[in-house]
Formats: sequence, C-alpha cells, structure tokens
Amino acid sequence: MKNATNLIETIKKQGLKPVPKWYFIFKKAMIYLVFFSAVVLGALAFSVVLFSIQQTDFNILGHLTHSKLEFFLSLLPFAWMLGLLMAISLSIISLRQSPKGYKFALSKLIGYNAAISIILGTIIFMGGGGQQLENAFAIHLSLYESMQEKKVKLWSMPDQGFLSGQIITAQNGDLKLLDFNKQEWSISYKQAFVAPIVLLENGEKIKIIGKVKGPHAFEAAEIRPWDGRSLKNHNGVWDKK
Amino acid sequence: MVLPKKICDELNDLQIIEKSLIELDYFSCLFERYEERLLHYIKHITHVPNEEAEDILQESFINIWKNLNAFDTSLKTSSWIFRIVHNQAISTLRKSKSFGKNKKLEWKESFLDFLTDDTSNNFGELPIDKEHLTREILEQLPLPYKEVLVLKFLENMSYDDISDVLKIPEGTVATRINRAKKAFAKLASRQGISIF
Repeated sequence: MKNATNLIETIKKQGLKPVPKWYFIFKKAMIYLVFFSAVVLGALAFSVVLFSIQQTDFNILGHLTHSKLEFFLSLLPFAWMLGLLMAISLSIISLRQSPKGYKFALSKLIGYNAAISIILGTIIFMGGGGQQLENAFAIHLSLYESMQEKKVKLWSMPDQGFLSGQIITAQNGDLKLLDFNKQEWSISYKQAFVAPIVLLENGEKIKIIGKVKGPHAFEAAEIRPWDGRSLKNHNGVWDKK
Repeated sequence: MVLPKKICDELNDLQIIEKSLIELDYFSCLFERYEERLLHYIKHITHVPNEEAEDILQESFINIWKNLNAFDTSLKTSSWIFRIVHNQAISTLRKSKSFGKNKKLEWKESFLDFLTDDTSNNFGELPIDKEHLTREILEQLPLPYKEVLVLKFLENMSYDDISDVLKIPEGTVATRINRAKKAFAKLASRQGISIF
C-alpha cells in the first residue's frame, strides 16, 4: 500500500502524463513505411541486377587468356548488389523494430526479406522496370557508368580481340565497320562464325571476337548481334539503340 | 489515492489500464497486483537489496504509466509489464557499481522444484539441503541464462511469454533455457551436486 501511494503521489507531483496514442501510431506507421520502402528499393535494385546480368556477355570470359577472375568481377553490377544488400538490411532492421518483429529468428527475417525483394524484383525486371531504371540513372547521373557504357568499353578492346560497332558495308567476306569511338575498320570474316541472327546489313550493330591484323584491320573469328537479338524495327530500319 | 483492493479485484488488467487513462488512481490497482511478484523478479535478476528493488519497481511503473497508450492488446499484460520492469532492472544493473556485492536474496523454493520436476528434463533429484549451493550457482550464471531460468521456473512463464518479455524468438528462448540448464548442471557438479 505504501509503495502504491508513493507511486501515485510521485506521478501527481511531477505532473506525468501518458505519451499520447498518436505518437505510438505514428512511430509504428514510420517503421512500416521504412520497411515497405526498403522492400521496394531492394526489389528495384534486384531488377537492375537481373538486367545487368542479362546484358553482360559472360561468355567473353572464355576468350580471355589471362585475369579471368578480375575481368569477371569487373562485369558484376557491384553498386546495385550493394544497394540490394543495404535495402534488405534496412528492411530487416525496420521489421525487427515492429511490434512483433522480435518473434522472427534472424535467419527467417533475412530469408523472407530477400525472397520478397527477389520475387518483386523479378516481376519488375520482366516488366522492363530494371532497364528503365538503369537508363534513368545513366541519363541523370553523370558519374554513373551505365550497362551500355560498360558494354561499349568491354567491346572496344581490339588489342584484346573484342571489337564492336555499326556496319557501313558488307560484301564478299569483308565488311567496313564504324566502331563506337568513330574509327573505321576493315573486317575480314571469311573464316568467321556468323551467328544466324546476324544479317550483315548496313546500319546493323555487331560485336566481333577476333584479332588485329594491321592498322584498323581486324580478322573476325565470331560475329554476334550487338544486343543478342535483331534490332530491326517494323519499318525494316535498324534501331539507333 | 490508492483504491481499495475490493474495487481492484473486480477489474481485469485491461480494464485497469483503460480506467487508469481516465482516472490515475486506478493505476494503483495494477501496481499492487504485480508488486510482490515483480520485486522478487528484480531481486533475482539484480541481487539488489529490497529498498533498491523498490526504487527500480517505482521507476518501472513510472515508465509503464508514460507508455500506457503503447500497450499492445495482443500481448499479455503481465508480459508487457515484466518487459518494462526487466529493461529497467537491467538498465539499473548496468549503471550500478555495487552490482553483485549484495547477494542476500529471498529465495523461493519453487526454483528447486524445477530441478526435480520431470517436465524440466535434464535434472534429477536434488536434496533440499543443497538449496544454498543451488542459489549460489544460479547467481554465478551469466545474465542471459539466469533471466530465462528465473522467468521459466520461478515465474512459471511459457516460452511465448518469455519471448515477449525478453523480445527474442521462441526458438532462442528454448535454446537458451537448454544451455542455461547445462551451464547450471556443470557448475553444480563442480560444487559436488549431481543433478543428472
């Protein structure tokens, strides 16, 4: 009785009031907002990771004679993978702060959050969201190296055996190519494997594996389409992409 | 003003909380309902003397009062109250320089019951004259082990309730209790008590 009286008197004396309900509702809402934002950000990051992997020519590794691992690592979209990890971590932390978040074991929290980001990210990727986001970053962030820029860089190493660009003319096993650095090349492709999808038409963008034969002369061993698919539109004109 | 016991007894915890938000005096019902149990708990966890335990309890109930609107009805009131008291006790424990110096505790025999209880497994018969040693052993255990043993066997809480008090998953509660029992048994065997 004595302690209860002391407690009530202390509360009255100090004028202590319960924290208003809206504060706790707001706090809870903020936690869920952070959680859902983190899940969406994670899904977007994963969709770009998928897009990057889809766009990357990992088969090029087979043609390298040295530093395959270093090259492989340079192809991975580390910034987006880091973004994905950070988003998953944030969603785990925010879920842990939710009223019943402590009920989940850490392994389950990681599993559930990763699964949500992966599933949602795959849906976004299939809807073209990954590509759009990647493009938006490339346009609006000058420091950001887009997949396209990476790809151009990768396929503009003639000394390493990788060349790419737009066909100017192609006839009798020889073609003229304007690479992405606006250099003109004479390409011999008599002995080359030409992917069936490649039409060797003017304006078509291609990538070539082969070796330098002289100043601006290149002997092709393999010719593949630039984008892995034909980019001719309905009017029979090659896309500018 | 502290309300008469008769009025308090007619109300459940949730009703007391709701009425307290309108009339402070009802809050005394909640305090008196849990006072004794919580004082025992604080003393088992912190080993502080009675007066200090009362101060911790007072501070805890001021926190409970401030957070009354945060009460989650999906929780048991007892779990929620124990959680706040537990946090306050641990916080005081960390600040206190005299922690561990006063180990004269009141002791509940029910703790010894768990050692002989078939459902608590791992532990067999323990002679009652070993009570003092048993108490000493519990005090030597690390806090994470001690707190689960106290909540489980002195407060008779379920894994779900302990999970709510300590804010850890139920699986972790189970693992911790298991390890705590083993640690307890190990220390006991060093003291010459066989509990297996």
